[in-house]
Amino acid sequence: MDFRLGEKELALKEEIRKFAEAELPPDLMRNTLIDGEYRDFEFEISMSRKLAQRGWLVMSWPEKYGGRGTSLWEQTIYEMEIAYWGIPGAWMGISGTQWVGPCLMMFGIEEQRKKYLPLIASGEKDGIWCTCYSEPNAGSDFANIQTRAVKDGDDYIINGQKVWTSAAHRARWCWLAARTAPNVAKKHQGISIFIVDMKSPGVTVNPILNYYGRHHFNEVFFDNVRVPASNLVGEENKGWYYLMQSLAFERRSIAPTTYGSLKRILEELAKYAGQTEYEGQPLSQNPVIRTKLADLAIDLEVLKMFAFQLAWRISQGQIPVYESSRNKIMGDEVMRRGAITGAEILGIYSQVDPDSEWAKLNGTIQGAYLGFPGQAIAAGTAEIEKSIIAQFRLGLPKSY
Amino acid sequence: MDFSFTEEQDMLRILARDFLAKECPKAKVREMAKDERGYDPQMWHSMAELGWMGLIFPEEYGGMGASFMDLVILIEEMGRNILPSPFFSTIALCALPLLEYGSSEQKIKFLPRIAKGEAIWTFALAESSGRYKASEVKLRAVLEGTNYVLQGYKLFVTDAHVADYILVVGRTGESERPEDGITLFMVDARGPNVEMEAIPTIGGDRQFKVSFDRVAVPKDNILGKIGNGWDIVDFILQRAAVLKCAEMSGACQAVLDMTSSYAKERIQFDRPIGSFQAIQHKLADMVIDVEAVQYLLYQAAWGISIGSPLPWQISAAKAKANEAYQRICIEAIAAHGAIGYTMDHDIGLYYRRVRAAEFAAGDTDLHREVIATGLGL
Repeated sequence: MDFRLGEKELALKEEIRKFAEAELPPDLMRNTLIDGEYRDFEFEISMSRKLAQRGWLVMSWPEKYGGRGTSLWEQTIYEMEIAYWGIPGAWMGISGTQWVGPCLMMFGIEEQRKKYLPLIASGEKDGIWCTCYSEPNAGSDFANIQTRAVKDGDDYIINGQKVWTSAAHRARWCWLAARTAPNVAKKHQGISIFIVDMKSPGVTVNPILNYYGRHHFNEVFFDNVRVPASNLVGEENKGWYYLMQSLAFERRSIAPTTYGSLKRILEELAKYAGQTEYEGQPLSQNPVIRTKLADLAIDLEVLKMFAFQLAWRISQGQIPVYESSRNKIMGDEVMRRGAITGAEILGIYSQVDPDSEWAKLNGTIQGAYLGFPGQAIAAGTAEIEKSIIAQFRLGLPKSY
Repeated sequence: MDFSFTEEQDMLRILARDFLAKECPKAKVREMAKDERGYDPQMWHSMAELGWMGLIFPEEYGGMGASFMDLVILIEEMGRNILPSPFFSTIALCALPLLEYGSSEQKIKFLPRIAKGEAIWTFALAESSGRYKASEVKLRAVLEGTNYVLQGYKLFVTDAHVADYILVVGRTGESERPEDGITLFMVDARGPNVEMEAIPTIGGDRQFKVSFDRVAVPKDNILGKIGNGWDIVDFILQRAAVLKCAEMSGACQAVLDMTSSYAKERIQFDRPIGSFQAIQHKLADMVIDVEAVQYLLYQAAWGISIGSPLPWQISAAKAKANEAYQRICIEAIAAHGAIGYTMDHDIGLYYRRVRAAEFAAGDTDLHREVIATGLGL
């Protein structure tokens, strides 16, 4: 065993720190946590361009698609640091760099790779993707999707409704799961993946506001949307297999990014506790506060080890099965603990509107507090993830 | 980064697991809980022959020259089987500091005997408060001629009744910093004026009050430097925290395996209880706890193995293990139902050992304090 980071990873960490200090306004962090993205889209995309220019945006991709072929270790450190500093624009609509690109490399045809990968790698608006998976009747029961894609000559015609679609209002492209075979023995058969131009006639995006009135996700309607057959990804009706891979890519990056954001929160809270006096001594001397922050730090350390262990499994050419679910649950737990502990430390100030001048720590804690219940649902609820662990790690019967 | 064990390490684990499965079934664990000595000298002898006692001693002291990580692997397997033996007291608490701080004469005198399984040692630190703080060390050691004379008592000394030597933490001087003026003595456990009184525990292990009434210890039997003993105590507590964590990690894995198997076999409502999500999700939480302990443990052990102990990570591992071991046992009993609450079932053997394991080498509060300080609080 060896738990050292390599020189490249350490150097990268340092470079990102310098980048963040030079490029970011100091109060940026709260926005990511509360909204899941930045309200200022132009600023976000300007950062995407800069990340692309630095060769970071898609660093782990092969050179011919705009990357630098770096290791998964560097990618993991990159994700941790991006989240730690709250650098916006790194994921090209969440899905672009994180699973659309990697899936196209695995399952796409060369023509698709040549067209879409350089767009993502450019950091320009035309490289932003959304992912259309969930539907009103297909949440945790994802295989129950009803959106139809029917072959018509050289095209497919798409009809249906998607929901909880992050970044659809900004995306140029959509990574869509649709049903191509309705009469199948099992629901997960007969699903296919398509690339859809969001500017196509018949695509309608309506915002869904979260309980704090912020616009992050949407509902997307497909009304006789015509998509060229060349936009089918991989084989028809094999979509479920590609989806599982895309979810594995998505869940892999959850631990590194959650680790990064929460490490920052922990450090900010420790600083705040040291600077805030109560009853003649700093809050940091209060044994209850010390206990709570220490417990947060321990779980954060677990999350870090889980993130690296998963990266190691993949780097060994193994296909992780339950580890991503484990990491998702641990990430959610750390987020919940960080948000609640933070709120307890801020005390009565934890209720202040994060945009108000009254807010402590730039509203970061309120952002985390309002954000964590939603983050915990995205990419798979704890209940689903625990059932996956029981089934695939322990060999217990499928329970749903 | 590399999360893999070497082939030799995998071999060591298999060997240990096989040996303990054969030699130390749960019937043996139960028998030893009633046995006056609390361990099986025959098995102890076999363990020495396998090279376990001297596993990480250099060859010159009759050892195998293995790494600290190897010792962690071995102790994980001991924890899995709840091996009743003075191995932890002898090796984790005494042999490691002897190896690090002993003079060459002391090492030559004591280590080969330990490696051969001919000497049992234990460590005496806690006094009436039961806390591992320098300020709590009241046992006095006063120089009289060529001897130091010890006066006072120690509590919760494990395996003292079978020990040949006790490593005793005494106070040789008073100063503002309670850490100054602490000295470690190697005391003949069977010598005059050393008295023992058993402290019965719920874990069924052997712990004692050991009283020292004007016990003379020759200067040669001081470990390290006079007055600087607290550095050695810190060294011991750090290593012991990791090794106790290894024991707990093995125990956690055993309890998870046991509960997962039971969930597949136990039929209620015409199906295995493991098909119910209420049980599945309990088990999934146990998996996460088990792996959290494992990876924090391996990280902490790795630091020591390469000669750069990471105090913060060591404390994170022990604090996590304290919390996880207890939670896993409680959840496991719940998943078993009433059978888990019986004397005949093995789960109780693990649960009854939770309290002792938590306090060995530092309870959760002690380790949280290390972490809080590390955070700049």
